[in-house]
Amino acid sequence: MIRAASWYPGRMRWRALLVLVALAVVGCAEQRDGPGPVTLVFKHAKILGPSDPMPGLLREFERRHPGVVVRSESLTWTSDEQHQFYVINLEGASPTFDVLMLDVIWVPEFAQAGWLLDLSPWVTREELAPHFPAAVEAATWGGRVWAMPWNMNVGVVYYRADLLAKYGLRPPTTWEALAEQAERVRAGERDRRLDGVLWQGKQYEGLVCNVLEHFWGSRAELLGPDGRVLPEPHRAEAALAFMRGLVDRGLSPGWVTAGDEELTRRPFGDGHAVFLRSWPYALDLFEAPDSPVRGRVGVAALPGHLDGAGGVGATGGSHLAVNRRSRHAEAAVALVRYLASEPAERALTAAGVALYPTRMALYHDPEIVRARPTMPLFHDLMLAARPRPVTPYYLMLSTTVQPEFSAALVGVKTPRQALAQARHRLEYMLGGLR
Amino acid sequence: MTARERADRRAGLAFVAPAALTLVVLALYPGLWVLWLSLQQRIPIFGIARFVGLDHYAFLAGDPRFWNAARVTLVFTGASVALELVLGLAVALALQRQRVGRRLALSLLLLAWALPSVVTAKLFEWLYHPSAGLVNVLLGGRAFNWLGDPALALPGLILADVWRTMPFVALLCYARLLTIAPEVYEAARVDGAGRLATLTSVTLPLLRSILLVALLFRTLDALRAFDLMYVLTGGGPANTTETLTVYAYRSLFQTLQLGFGAAIGVVIFGLVMAIAAGYLRALRREGLAA
Repeated sequence: MIRAASWYPGRMRWRALLVLVALAVVGCAEQRDGPGPVTLVFKHAKILGPSDPMPGLLREFERRHPGVVVRSESLTWTSDEQHQFYVINLEGASPTFDVLMLDVIWVPEFAQAGWLLDLSPWVTREELAPHFPAAVEAATWGGRVWAMPWNMNVGVVYYRADLLAKYGLRPPTTWEALAEQAERVRAGERDRRLDGVLWQGKQYEGLVCNVLEHFWGSRAELLGPDGRVLPEPHRAEAALAFMRGLVDRGLSPGWVTAGDEELTRRPFGDGHAVFLRSWPYALDLFEAPDSPVRGRVGVAALPGHLDGAGGVGATGGSHLAVNRRSRHAEAAVALVRYLASEPAERALTAAGVALYPTRMALYHDPEIVRARPTMPLFHDLMLAARPRPVTPYYLMLSTTVQPEFSAALVGVKTPRQALAQARHRLEYMLGGLR
Repeated sequence: MTARERADRRAGLAFVAPAALTLVVLALYPGLWVLWLSLQQRIPIFGIARFVGLDHYAFLAGDPRFWNAARVTLVFTGASVALELVLGLAVALALQRQRVGRRLALSLLLLAWALPSVVTAKLFEWLYHPSAGLVNVLLGGRAFNWLGDPALALPGLILADVWRTMPFVALLCYARLLTIAPEVYEAARVDGAGRLATLTSVTLPLLRSILLVALLFRTLDALRAFDLMYVLTGGGPANTTETLTVYAYRSLFQTLQLGFGAAIGVVIFGLVMAIAAGYLRALRREGLAA
């Protein structure tokens, strides 16, 4: 038989339908249960790592809040699917979950849509102060607090410490120096399989992070403080042209234009590249016992550009928020604050999961630093980092510029054409909204 | 009409009613709703909901991204379906003549077909890897940038789709071949037909109807292709692999322009219906459809 849908085998669809029916039944049942125990539903992505600290944390929360039971429900795997799930359920005013884990870039969008509970009455500025400024910036919108920062990511550059040392080089602070170093090491090594620098150039969200980092390093912006799109087109053009140049000069292999995190992480991890732009999660994998580059990888701040600013990494990560339709707002807010509390973030970090906390003090905590010696360095990188533009239009902005950036990288358009068209399209779309 | 006939008629209607009702609830109602949605500017997160008539369609008519997506969809459909039919037929004929290991071959064929398409896409992500991928190694260590080169990305996706769905055509044809009575071939031999003549005058005409069915299914499926490009290239590089369904998905679920996305959906629906109607007419001529 032919399959029911083009991207889901029929059986999966039925299973999904069953889950929906089950959810509906559960939702109806909850409506009736009156004063008895409160059941909070917590939607979150599966947390990867040697052990899952979540059940322990949730039981501890239940112990502290008698009469509250937390049921955690896993989200689907990819970020796009999670966004789709939330959009459908929150727009449908579904109260079937109370607390949600969400990508930082969705917070203003969901807040603007009226889907999130305003946390300002509970969460003060003081309570947010121990978190990284970039995370706090991404959790607030229009002067209100919509989410609690929970975990964090930052763009960094990895380098082969052994190779740089061999040629007497120090980690570069500008992209131009990085390119020169990559050239020298490759010329010296004469290894045809050794690439210079790997980064993420596939047409997806990761590309926007990479381009933004080059923009910021050149004092260019995608969205100016006054809401203007690409206010410094010449600097932005130069940054894009530099990225394209990395490919043209052979310092980056042509396939970075299709590379995502894992496709670029693996060759570097196998020892086939001098530099890699990626996220902190990769370090644990490079230092794994069976890793060919174990003990030979260094991590540094992203370089800037000549005549530009210092390098700035883009941040990512996830936050915790409360569904505005939740019937147990007080308990839900308590859960969010508990999970973002110092003991809870500490427990998550100590469990060795591939997530980094948003609380700055943990990065200098002796116990944690002993297990993860790079924490103080990541502290400095995250402190200097910036969030992607914090605006409810972020996804529209990002998906509109992705094909244009991609076109400039593969040479279908010049950087000037690509940026002019991106700007034209964005002004048209955002113009209708503001 | 006699009383008996009228009673039969009523019973018939009663039997059809549940199916008709299901169709109305699950297909007609949402379909009409999408049509209505496509006439509105609706962006719920900004509280925008107003009737704009055919504005979205007018915008699409002059939207280069839309025409690019339409072109990509048609090229993808035409090339992948053509290759799948030719290769599927060849595999079915080879299976028919195979003496040893036929069950193993069938299982292997089914495997490719049975894999969830996201798994297939991930598999091809590594097969196409420019330095470590098997495809480039087999091509003598050439560094083809399969998914990152604007000229190669779409052919790469077409090949992946052919790998995945060719078994469907092969199995359909093979099943039909099994039902051809050996006497037919004997008669052909007695008449002195050679291998080529047997193929063109006996086998192919007998396969004609099943090939049409395969063509119908495959075309409609390919027109709605989404998963491969979504996972493998995200529509890139530079939108060279963005199909209409990917464009609709991005507008609907990523940027939440419900009205605009619905308009793209309606265009896809119209395209699929027009092609389906053409095929159904052909099938009717074959006497296969009522």
